[in-house]
Amino acid sequence: MNKRILIVDDSFYMRTMLKNMLTDAGYEVVGEAANGQQALEMAASTAPDLITLDVILPDNTGLDVLRGLRQQSPNAKVVMCSAVGQEVIVNEAIENGALAYIVKPFSEERVLEIVGSALRGDAA
Amino acid sequence: MTAREQEYRELFMAEALEYYESMSRHLSELERTPDDVPALNELFRLMHNLKSNARAMGHTAIGEVAHSLETVFGLIRDRERAFAGPLVAVVFTGLDELGAMIRAVGADQPLPDAAALLDNLARVARGDEPVLPAPAPADAEAPAEEDARKLELSDLVYIQVRKLDKLLNLVGELVIDRDRILTLAEEIGHPALQATARHLFRISDDLQYSVMDVRLVGVGVLLNKFPRVVRDVATAEGKEVELSLGGQDVQIDRNVLQIMTDALLHLVRNGVSHGLEAPAEREAAGKPRVGQLRLLALTERDDVLIEVADDGPGIDTEAVRRKAVERGLATAELAATLDEQAVWAFLFEPGFSTAAQVTDISGRGVGLDVVKRALDSLGGQLRIASVLGQGTSFTLVLPTSIAVKGALLVELDGRPYAVPLLHTDTVLALRPDEFSVVGGLLLAHVQGQAVPVVPLRELLHAEGTEALPAADKTLLQGPQQVLVVNYNHRRLGLLVDQFLRQQNIVVKALSKPLDAIDLFGGVTLLGSGQVCLVLDVPALTRLFVARRA
Amino acid sequence: MADSVLSPLGGRAAPPAPEATVQLIVFQLAGEDYGIRIEQVREVTITPEVARMPKTPAFIKGIVNLRGDIIAVIDLEERFGLVKTARPLPERSYTVAVEAADYTIGLAVREVPRPLRIPAAAIEAAPEFLQDSGQRERYLEGIAKLPDGSVIIVLDMRKLLTATEILRLPN
Repeated sequence: MNKRILIVDDSFYMRTMLKNMLTDAGYEVVGEAANGQQALEMAASTAPDLITLDVILPDNTGLDVLRGLRQQSPNAKVVMCSAVGQEVIVNEAIENGALAYIVKPFSEERVLEIVGSALRGDAA
Repeated sequence: MTAREQEYRELFMAEALEYYESMSRHLSELERTPDDVPALNELFRLMHNLKSNARAMGHTAIGEVAHSLETVFGLIRDRERAFAGPLVAVVFTGLDELGAMIRAVGADQPLPDAAALLDNLARVARGDEPVLPAPAPADAEAPAEEDARKLELSDLVYIQVRKLDKLLNLVGELVIDRDRILTLAEEIGHPALQATARHLFRISDDLQYSVMDVRLVGVGVLLNKFPRVVRDVATAEGKEVELSLGGQDVQIDRNVLQIMTDALLHLVRNGVSHGLEAPAEREAAGKPRVGQLRLLALTERDDVLIEVADDGPGIDTEAVRRKAVERGLATAELAATLDEQAVWAFLFEPGFSTAAQVTDISGRGVGLDVVKRALDSLGGQLRIASVLGQGTSFTLVLPTSIAVKGALLVELDGRPYAVPLLHTDTVLALRPDEFSVVGGLLLAHVQGQAVPVVPLRELLHAEGTEALPAADKTLLQGPQQVLVVNYNHRRLGLLVDQFLRQQNIVVKALSKPLDAIDLFGGVTLLGSGQVCLVLDVPALTRLFVARRA
Repeated sequence: MADSVLSPLGGRAAPPAPEATVQLIVFQLAGEDYGIRIEQVREVTITPEVARMPKTPAFIKGIVNLRGDIIAVIDLEERFGLVKTARPLPERSYTVAVEAADYTIGLAVREVPRPLRIPAAAIEAAPEFLQDSGQRERYLEGIAKLPDGSVIIVLDMRKLLTATEILRLPN
């Protein structure tokens, strides 16, 4: 059974790139959400194994969505996506239950490594 | 540039221009209401996305300007700087320059130099005075100003496949009506009407091809998913496999590819787990340790071929023949007479599997019949080639597009039925004495072969699981119209009332709840607006085999 | 192409009345009045040419071309067992096209259907013993009593239109 991943990012470009990287690697991308509301709804309906979550989202901060996700879908592993310079938010995200983070711009190798280890349950 | 790089570039451009326009709008709002928090948050978020995307695309100069602007927006949001004074001018200039840089990327031109802007942005971030140019005379600045404010709309639109499906259906119906009009014009014989009808013919032909073209994608979008699949299966099975891909740029209808996804996945998994030997076995047979698997797409006339080929042991035809008899798919007598192509076709029957060892990957009761079903639904075909000891190749023959199908229209009890040409073999008009009856089965003799014949009426109206009534030649009166259909190397004759004509049809899927009846592949609308059921030859053949007396 | 006899969406713009009302499309089956909530109705038309579909129960009259969509048309009188034997549709009949979650189906009726607005409170839940007795009763939303003493049986299409339900033969 392929692992199921939900991508949350407000940029279509970013989602497409992540989706291509993940599906090429054999993961099943079960949904793409562009904002916090969609993220929570889709996480509930698709029950993904892992969620990649952008730290900055239109209707909510990524952190609020993270808290909502941890409460609503505690089994889904969350990996944050952030850019350089957002270490403060990232640290807070880790404290709130995110397993790892990917720094944009990301390389395919790095994404697969982090997603893979998060799914296996290693520390990233 | 690869197709994917092209896609990324187009997505980046479309989104960057969209961000730029939204930011221009929000900046004007901010100018009116400097403490507009939602506008500030949006500016920060959009600039952040632009920065990330630009860096991912390798446009570092855009990334740098966006980063500096994002920093300034962050400071304003956190109330460390105010959106006032010279900062406003610097931010507006910054956004304009960013727009110019994005447009330059789109036009493949060198990016304008941003050193002065970056310096000013760093200054306002630190709280220092920026270096602003002395206001120039208004008319001297005007042309540049105008250029920077040009409104840009993206060259790309995103369309849901559902909308394209609808468009394709409409075009299909248009084509049917066009054919009808052309026929009527010929019948009426009015020269101006005929000329107009021929013109309509050409335009709608163009339209049809344009719509079909919009739906095409490179086969690569699917093939590129296989390296990982092969690696996983090979690891699980202890095989060593080198996968080669080819023909990723061959174009095919997106839905055709979608329908074939599972089938191809199955063929590839099967290719690794049954099609290739374990490394030690290969060495013992004098082959290289590493098995070769090839996934190749190519075009042949109007069709797209996707080939899955291995250099494994090949198909053991006699083993398949024995198994087919064991499974009751054929009697021993019949099986003995079949050529190897007909024997190989058994591989694609439901539940057939010759692997002695049930592997984790492809042995779980799901056979290659998945492939056959997917092909049947598209009206595609399968070619098999195999040499014992050298390898096997399966070739999927797929329509480039699912728009129109050639069909033969027949009439039964006053109603038209369409039979896809792909499954029709020949049509015959036979006298009753030209048939023979063997074992309750009506037989016609076609090109030296005895072909079973059944009235279509009986197949369509047979209920439950009871056997069809035994054939009685004396019931046949006058010349009989026989349509010989062909499915999976089996021929079957269908008695119909009359043959109407051959024409292109657009098949619409049956909607619920009638889609549960598998004898019909769908419906089509004739030029008259009349509803015509499309017969599903594979299902009719299966029904005949199951019900024959 | 069939002519639209009436547009069920025409009444949509009505302002919310102080008393909640329900708009029904009302038609006759075996002499009794039946209603369907207008939200569940796509359109009402004169029945287009029906193509009989082999391998289907007799109450499925066949398929029709409704503005380019191919839909099945059923006879509820036969489906509910209100008539003893199957019979063909008359020369002129009407089709009420109703929406299920993911498909549309046509109900063939013999008299012109009509729209009717009634107070929501007029619909009484069907007595429980009725709900699990007959064919028809299983699909009831309730029974509407009108001031003039007449009665309309309100059907719930969502219960009727599961694909397996629709194909099930009447008893």
